[in-house]
Amino acid sequence: MKYTKELVSTLIIIIITFLLAAVLIIVAKYDPGMALRSFFYGIFGSLHGFAEIMVRATPLILAGLGVSVAFSTGFFNIGAEGQLYMGAIAITCVGVFLPPMPAVLHITIAITAGFLLGGIWAVIPGFLKAKYGVSEIITTIMFNYIAINIVGILVRTVLKNTESALPYSSVMPKSLSFPLLLYPTRLHGGFILAIVSAVLIYIIMKKTTIGYELRVVGFNKRAGTCSGISVYKNIVLASLISGGLAGLAGVSEIAGVHHRLLEGISPGYGYIAIIVALMGRNHPLGVIISAIGLSALQVGANSMQRQAGIPTSITSVLMGVIVLLALSKNIMFSGILKKMRIK
Amino acid sequence: MPDLIMKDIYKGFPGVVANDNVNLTIEKGEIHALLGENGAGKTTLMNILYGIYIKDSGIITWKGKEVSFKSPRDAIESGIGMVHQHFMLVPTLSVAQNITLGLKNKGYPFYNKKKVIKDISELSKKYGLHVDPNELISRLSVGARQRVEILKSLYRNAELLILDEPTAVLTPQETDNFFTILKKLKNEGHSVIIITHRIPEVMKITDKVTILKDGKNVATVNTSETNENELSNYMIGRSLKTFSTREKTNESKEYGLVLENVSFKSRNLKALVDISFQVKKGEIFGIAGVDGNGQKELAEVITGICKLDSGTIILAGKNINKSNFKTRKKAGLAYITDDRQYEGLVLDMDVSENMILKDYDQEPFSKNCIINYKVVREKTEQRIKDYNIKTPGINTPIRLLSGGNQQKAIIARELAAGPSVVLACQPTRGLDIGATEFVRQTLIDKCNENLSILLISADLEEIVSICDRIAVIFEGRIVGIVTNGTDLNLNEIGLMMAGHIGETVNS
Repeated sequence: MKYTKELVSTLIIIIITFLLAAVLIIVAKYDPGMALRSFFYGIFGSLHGFAEIMVRATPLILAGLGVSVAFSTGFFNIGAEGQLYMGAIAITCVGVFLPPMPAVLHITIAITAGFLLGGIWAVIPGFLKAKYGVSEIITTIMFNYIAINIVGILVRTVLKNTESALPYSSVMPKSLSFPLLLYPTRLHGGFILAIVSAVLIYIIMKKTTIGYELRVVGFNKRAGTCSGISVYKNIVLASLISGGLAGLAGVSEIAGVHHRLLEGISPGYGYIAIIVALMGRNHPLGVIISAIGLSALQVGANSMQRQAGIPTSITSVLMGVIVLLALSKNIMFSGILKKMRIK
Repeated sequence: MPDLIMKDIYKGFPGVVANDNVNLTIEKGEIHALLGENGAGKTTLMNILYGIYIKDSGIITWKGKEVSFKSPRDAIESGIGMVHQHFMLVPTLSVAQNITLGLKNKGYPFYNKKKVIKDISELSKKYGLHVDPNELISRLSVGARQRVEILKSLYRNAELLILDEPTAVLTPQETDNFFTILKKLKNEGHSVIIITHRIPEVMKITDKVTILKDGKNVATVNTSETNENELSNYMIGRSLKTFSTREKTNESKEYGLVLENVSFKSRNLKALVDISFQVKKGEIFGIAGVDGNGQKELAEVITGICKLDSGTIILAGKNINKSNFKTRKKAGLAYITDDRQYEGLVLDMDVSENMILKDYDQEPFSKNCIINYKVVREKTEQRIKDYNIKTPGINTPIRLLSGGNQQKAIIARELAAGPSVVLACQPTRGLDIGATEFVRQTLIDKCNENLSILLISADLEEIVSICDRIAVIFEGRIVGIVTNGTDLNLNEIGLMMAGHIGETVNS
């Protein structure tokens, strides 16, 4: 009973997390009952709360998918954050420099550009790893800083809105905005883009020879080589897809939420995406579920801060604990599961 | 009172019982063979004795006292030494450094090199274990490395030596020398346990044999009171199948695979030097040689995994120098690698996904990049049936299959697409006798279907039993090519394996 085991260990994780949350809240001298009420009110209490979860989940799904494709191929892309920013730069350039055109064409160009620029940002480390064996963990992290600071330079120079003193780009034209799905909430078309991407990635990874090659290389590079599968080609391809998807997250944030480029559009989505991919076991459906779960946690925490005055930093602690438990559950809970006679 | 008594040893691993109440008794000064197929539980039993595994139940008595070693360190301190199948030596250190590794000699932490070397020299003289204590391990032959391993145990005052498959990597001459050493050890009062599945060697050197099968005792007999057939019956339940030299039905003049002056450098070292040979259609051409003399490089140059530096390779009449492995596969090359778990299979994938690793990108398995899983399922089931692969299902992770069944899966995959040339590297390494016979028979069948077979194997017995012609490789060179037959001079092949240039009989 594979699923019972999964279910029980997930339940154990949830219980431990809530117990720990209670301890932290009591130690910090807040009222745990009030905290719990405001936490769940934030998530389930209103349509707005629900929509906000999906809005936050959108970039997490896209970037998380990207990270999962890279992880499945054995390319440890830690650089989704930077790739996300490159995608955001791409759509902003499309909005600022291209002449007005019909919305469908405009958004298609922006999505393509975002995918490509994000992809290129990951292909460079991918190439360095495939060709020279340079550790992608180092290069992708370093590329995050470069990308973030490129954004800083651009919003003060080439892309700066000359009518304002602040380091922002001008507002994107209407043709570059995702439609709102659930007025008056902020839920936008980017969520559909994310779900469609997840379906596509599922098909590519599980049903095509492209995905087959990627997975073979991810599991065992040497076996790939010994069956005539090019490790080089597949690592470069994986990094392209991976960075492209993270780039789409950047496109979606600009077209759906911010509507112009500015610094700090991502509160670490690219890093949380790594957790999303790990907890989602690199499976598209798992990525969607864990992305929604993690954003619900954050939305609930925000509500807790607003209503009960409890700092959101407690949530960061909990998130760390959840990741630890989720990644080590098979070993940590094996004793408990054995006692409960669940195999 | 015997030196060692292992009584009712039981050890289970998830899903298997490796040792099911096994008994073993060793007298002082006895050479005792532990005979059995792969997976019979021989190595597990010895690992329990040596403290690598902890037994589930049973009693071990060593020199009259009940013992339970928690680590090899305990075993060594009690005077038990083990030489593993894969040597545990540091190649960048000298012989003396390896032998004293981890020991706190008198005067620790200072190292009395003179005394250590004197002690080692005395030991090696006493037992005929000739080796220069100052030489680096990386410069020693496999036989010499084995002597270092034995010295290492003796230096630690081992009274009982456990040797795991000691002759697997030796040339015939080295094996003879090794047997002499064993006799000396015996005369000096040491007991020796040899783990092996080679019956002739058991007959030649041991005093007593304990046969294990499926983790259980089958019998313990005195070597002088038994014969090869009886041992084989104990071990596999029937007599050994012998492959005699096959009657050649068709003498083809066509060549499936031709190598001309192929040279290859690996890390600036000459791995292959001027290799030339031709494999005819309907011929099994064997490459014999001690492991690590360029066999792996030869295979990888033929497949295209490594790019050759000079020379020509012709596959089915076409020059394939510039093609990559994928193109060579499509041109009719099948490759059975020597490392099935690491190179031949993707252990984390299931049986069906491994079954298409060779031709996943060709019809009928896929079209326009879309894999047709219905066809994959059908073909996999077909191959499982044809090759009698034992698996719970086609979606079982292939890592859960036994070595023999994993190898069958590779062979089924590689031979299914109708290749014209089969490159088989150590195809029976680590397989039990049943699976070994199956693999050899499959190669012979394919040869009879007019395929060219290139068999690279360190197992001379295997080469001699199924090959038509035999080339011997030494330090990246072909030192001789001989035609197999009743007049084959094994001694000559053994000498060539050790580097003596033989006569080249080009036929």
